[in-house]
Amino acid sequence: MLKAIQYINQFFGQVGGEDMADYEPEIREGAVGCAQIFNSLAKDVQVTHTIICGDNFMASRTEEAVARIMKFLEGKEFGIFIAGPAFNAGRYGNACGQIALEVKKRYDVPVITSMNEENPGVELFHKEMYIFRGGSRATSMKKDMEAMVAFAEKIAKGEKLQPASVEGYFPRGVRHQVFMSDLGMQPVMAADRAFDMLLKKLKGEPYQTELPMPKLDRVPIAPAVKDLRKVRLALVSSGGIVPSDNPDRIQSCSATKWGKYDISKLDKLTAPEYKTIHAGYDPEQADKNPNVVLPLDAIRTYQKEGRLGEVDEFFYTTVGTGTTQGEASRMGKEIAAVLHKRNVEAVVLTAT
Amino acid sequence: MKLEIGKFFVKDIVFGTKTGYDKGVLTIDREEALAVVKEDSHITEAELHIVKPGDEVRLVPVKEAIEMRCKVSGGAMYPGVTNPVSPVGSGRTHALKDAALLVVGKHWGSFQDGLIDMSGEYRRHTIYGSMKNLVLVGDTDEEFERHEQQKTNHALRWAGHRLAEYVGKCVAALEPEEIETWELDAVNRRDSKVQALPSVVYVLQPQTQMEAMGYNTLIYGWDGNHIIPTFMHPNEILDGAVVSGSFMPVSSKISTYEHCNNPMVKRLMKEHGKTVNFLGVIMSNLNVAMDQKVRSAFMVAQMAKNLGADGAIVAEEGYGNPDVDYVQTLVELEKVGVKTVGMANECTGRDGASQPLVALDPAANALVSTGNVSQYFELPPMKTVLGELQSMARDGLSGGWEGCVRPDGSLVMENNAMFCSDHPSGYSLKTCVDY
Repeated sequence: MLKAIQYINQFFGQVGGEDMADYEPEIREGAVGCAQIFNSLAKDVQVTHTIICGDNFMASRTEEAVARIMKFLEGKEFGIFIAGPAFNAGRYGNACGQIALEVKKRYDVPVITSMNEENPGVELFHKEMYIFRGGSRATSMKKDMEAMVAFAEKIAKGEKLQPASVEGYFPRGVRHQVFMSDLGMQPVMAADRAFDMLLKKLKGEPYQTELPMPKLDRVPIAPAVKDLRKVRLALVSSGGIVPSDNPDRIQSCSATKWGKYDISKLDKLTAPEYKTIHAGYDPEQADKNPNVVLPLDAIRTYQKEGRLGEVDEFFYTTVGTGTTQGEASRMGKEIAAVLHKRNVEAVVLTAT
Repeated sequence: MKLEIGKFFVKDIVFGTKTGYDKGVLTIDREEALAVVKEDSHITEAELHIVKPGDEVRLVPVKEAIEMRCKVSGGAMYPGVTNPVSPVGSGRTHALKDAALLVVGKHWGSFQDGLIDMSGEYRRHTIYGSMKNLVLVGDTDEEFERHEQQKTNHALRWAGHRLAEYVGKCVAALEPEEIETWELDAVNRRDSKVQALPSVVYVLQPQTQMEAMGYNTLIYGWDGNHIIPTFMHPNEILDGAVVSGSFMPVSSKISTYEHCNNPMVKRLMKEHGKTVNFLGVIMSNLNVAMDQKVRSAFMVAQMAKNLGADGAIVAEEGYGNPDVDYVQTLVELEKVGVKTVGMANECTGRDGASQPLVALDPAANALVSTGNVSQYFELPPMKTVLGELQSMARDGLSGGWEGCVRPDGSLVMENNAMFCSDHPSGYSLKTCVDY
């Protein structure tokens, strides 16, 4: 038996309607209000405690509400956390997302909620938790609860969890490969899938792309530096230039590490003291002259000519081939934090 | 152009005193076969093995897969590579089916090499796990690249092509069990019924991103890095005009076996005259510099448009940087009114949360996904290893890393190093889905 705790609002906790929306958070033993429906549908999961909080209280005094609810959970034994269903109620959806996210962070248990696709909570929290596709109104309570229960039971039994479209939750921005046969589908070769898709597209019939275009995460280009003589500049590269012994053992492909190396006493990078470990391009030129990837020689010349001001004592480096966007973004943030501390205001970022 | 492929269905491979084929049994004269391998004095060690589905064998580092076949008439195998340049795509070719020749490094691996399991959970990850394979395991004196991550693997790959043709020749004079005919008239000499069907092209982007020669896909022996997109007859692809390179992380690789059996080409040929008018193949490439990428994309679009294509299927042999070439080509085709479907794998990271392609564009609205290079695998130990397991950890194979091989022979790795597993040629039975 997997123990669950469920979060619901004042209305579904049978405290009252909009007039009770300022109701303070509380925790009650057992399943209260709509949590009783959960328990009546579930076999291997049971709600042992119900948290009830007014939607206004959560919306206007969020920090306090979250803190009080986290206090309730201290010492409680539970393996899964349920919130809602919140239908298309915006404040309630947001409350479910906030609490479930905090529970996930602190207790590392699966968190499940349910919202209608129009609920703004979906956009805010879909990457963080399982949000099941729910109805827009409370009339779909039983159906929405059933979907959450079915999934919670699977988790309780340790069953293999299927993709978002099969289970019925909103995609979390996570993609994995799968054999079609493992999804219970008739296996079809990619060539045949491609042909069938093209034929439908040519005929103007509906078709389903296998890779829906994600929302583009574009970083705006920073405004130009007005006077390069007045800023501190740093060299950063994803071209894999490192001291020849690669002291931090940065990987040649799918890198998860970056390094920072002293160049304060150098006028240029010399071979063989420096080289590239990047496996995604022909290293010949970079190994002969590492400055073609990390242009320290040109930077020093500019400095001597008085066109540049200070240059940071270190250069910062990693490998960009096969490196996931997630890892790249993490390393970028880490490097940026260091640069910020070192009062760097401009960066020459060289790729390959 | 008309090409006949005479098929011989291999049910078993055995070693014997004379290389030959009889009623499904392929016999290999080991001595004679090894002599063909050793025609190149750079081969220092060579041995032959036979592996079949269900055998408790792990092969790594696998460098190439080749179909054992020979030309009976109309040119030579692998023209411009192991034979002088001659046109291919017509006449008769005899091929040993359901079997492949696998080329494996005895010790040393490289970025583009991979792993095949002949049994267990991971056997299904590559088509070669379901085939009867003759395996060449060898080493060379190519000292200049022994400790390089990027290897041309020239001596071993060429030995493989010679050996595959040598074995293939044993059926040259035999009557095939089945003959497959591939025929396509000149683009402007087709009857009106065919012309009335939607016209389509197949755009192939083989891996050609190494600026140094010796690593890229060869087209009639010519380095694909040095071409601008060109028009080819599908039969040329099916008849050995294209030889796989030695650079791409291997799950994204199209082996020479797969070029010769390209399932996308075959499906389009089979549909020709029924549902589509298959115009032919636009052989493009993958590039390094942005102007090169854009040039090829423009030229593909121009060629497709002026051939009268209504639709195009674009396949990319690679991931990461070349996604830019792939998506750009889809975009340029859509811009000139050619409806596209793209076929490639993804790189979403071990947690699955990274952007699946390096370049994204709303115009790329019909994509087939053939796998995820960063899928994490845990492989149990295997009774026999052909090659050297440590190469996965030591030699910079794209899906391996220092310490990924455990002392008991089990290992962890990323799909990136599973031999040809994403099959961008079109064989993949995988897709990627949202979780």
